[in-house]
Amino acid sequence: MNNGNNNSLQNAAKKVLVWDLPTRIFHWLFVLSFIAAWVTNGEDRYLYEHVFAGYVFFALLIFRLIWGFSGSHYAKFTNFAYSKSIVVDYIKALFKGGAKRYVGHNPAGGMAIFIILFLATILAVSGLMVLGGEEHHGPLKDIVSYSLGSEMKEIHELAYNALLALLFIHLVGVLFESLYHKENLISAMLSGYKPAAEKSVPVKVHALLGLTVLTIVAASAAYYFKGYAMETKDKPFVPYSNTPLAMNETYSSECGDCHLAFHPSLLPARSWKLMLKQQDHHFGEDLSLDEETIKELSKFMLAHSAEKGITEASHKIYHSIPADRTPLRITETRYWKRKHREINDRYWKMDKVKSKANCGACHLDAKTGWFEDSNMRLPK
Amino acid sequence: MVKRLAGLLFLACAAASVNASTLDDMLKKYQSEGAGPFSAASGEKFWHTDHPDPKDPAKIRNCSTCHGKDLTKKGKHVRTGKVIDPMAPSVNKERFTKEKTIKKWFKRNCKWVLGRECTPQEKGDVLSYLRKQ
Repeated sequence: MNNGNNNSLQNAAKKVLVWDLPTRIFHWLFVLSFIAAWVTNGEDRYLYEHVFAGYVFFALLIFRLIWGFSGSHYAKFTNFAYSKSIVVDYIKALFKGGAKRYVGHNPAGGMAIFIILFLATILAVSGLMVLGGEEHHGPLKDIVSYSLGSEMKEIHELAYNALLALLFIHLVGVLFESLYHKENLISAMLSGYKPAAEKSVPVKVHALLGLTVLTIVAASAAYYFKGYAMETKDKPFVPYSNTPLAMNETYSSECGDCHLAFHPSLLPARSWKLMLKQQDHHFGEDLSLDEETIKELSKFMLAHSAEKGITEASHKIYHSIPADRTPLRITETRYWKRKHREINDRYWKMDKVKSKANCGACHLDAKTGWFEDSNMRLPK
Repeated sequence: MVKRLAGLLFLACAAASVNASTLDDMLKKYQSEGAGPFSAASGEKFWHTDHPDPKDPAKIRNCSTCHGKDLTKKGKHVRTGKVIDPMAPSVNKERFTKEKTIKKWFKRNCKWVLGRECTPQEKGDVLSYLRKQ
C-alpha cells in the first residue's frame, strides 16, 4: 500500500498543523453533543437534557457552516469539495491501490462531511420544530402548530437514522484511510498535526476562537443545568417551569380541596359536562354544588377543555379517546394508560402516592397543568 | 402616632370579632331553626361517632377518617391522599371565617359520613366543640 505518494513517506518526520483549534473543538463537541442527544432520546424524563444537546449540536453546526467559508485552509469547504468524477476515481483508486494521499479531507471523506452537515441540519431544524410544536418550547413554539411538530418527529427520526449510518461510514473511512496511508487520522483530529506533504499550506491555530467556542458551550451548560446543583430534597429542580395554565378560583377550591385540581385541558368537554351532571354522585360523593357554582365551573371547564389545550398532554389525551367514549377519569384514557404502563406497582402503593389521581407525587408541575416530560421524578 | 396605633388596634379587634361573629351568626341561625342550646361535649361525641361505609359495612367512617385524630395537625383525604389543613382555629386562623365554606362542607361531608345532612342541633354542637380547639 505504500506505493502511493512517496512524498508523504519522505516527509513523514515533519509534521504540519492541518486542523486549526476551532475545527477540532467543533469536531469533538459535535461528537459529544450527538452522543448526549443519542443517549437521552426516547426517555421522556430526559427531554430537557436532550434539548440542550440539540441546541449545542445546532449552534456548533452553524459555527461550522460559517467556518467552512471563513476558516483556515483545510477547514474551508472549497478545500474538500470535489467533483463527482474525482470522488469516484478516488474510491476506485483506493480499491486498486495507489490512491493519492490528501493532507486535508480526501475526496470521499469530503463528500461524507457534506452529507453529514446536510443531515445534521435537517436533524437540528426538525428537532426544533418538534420542540416548538409538540412541547411548546424553543424559538418556534408560536410558529409551528402541534400537528406539524408531531409530523416533524418522523423527519427527525429519519434524519437521525441516516446520520447514524453516515457516521458509521465516516468512522470506517477514517480507520481504512488511517491504515491505507499509515497515518493516525484520529490523533490528527486531536492534535491537529499531520505528516507534511509537498504542497502543505501553513495553517494558524486560531486558539482564541477555539477556546471561545469551548467556553461558550461550557458556560451554557453550567447555566442550563445550574438548577440541578441547587436542588434540595424538598425542592427538586423543575426543568421547565412554565407559567401555570389558566385557573379559576372557584374551580381550584371546589375541586382542589379534595384532590389535585386537574386542569380541564386533561379531558374533553363532553367528559366535564357529564361530570358536572353527575355531581351528586361524584365517584361516590355528593358534591352538593349549587346552580351558580355549577354554572361558573362549567364555563371555565368548557373554555379550557382538552379540545382547546396547548400542551402535549392535552393533545395526546384527547386524540387517544375514541369518539364514542366519555371518560370520567383521566386514568381511563388510552394515552394515560400507555404512559404509565411501565410504572412499577410498588410506586402506586407508596404512602406518598397512594392514588393514581395523585399526579403531583411524581409530576412536579401537576398543579400548573403542563405535565412536562422532563418534570417527572419517581418518589424514593 | 398614638392615633395611628389606636387605629391599628381597632382594626385588629374588628378583624378578630368578624371571625367570632361568623361562628356566632351561624349558631344564631341554627337556633332560629329550633336548635339549641349547644354543647361542646355533644359535639365532641358526635365528631367521634362511627358510621358504617354504605358499600362495605365492615369499614367505618367518622370525621377523623379524613381530618385525623389530632385536630391541630393536618388531615388527609382518605381516598385521594390530599392534605387537609388543621381543623383547630388555634392553629389555623382560616377556619370558620366564611359562612359559605362552613355550609358547603357540612353539606358534603355529613352526606359522606352519615349518609344524610346534619341537623341544626348537630351542626351547632360540632361548631361549639371545634371552636375551642
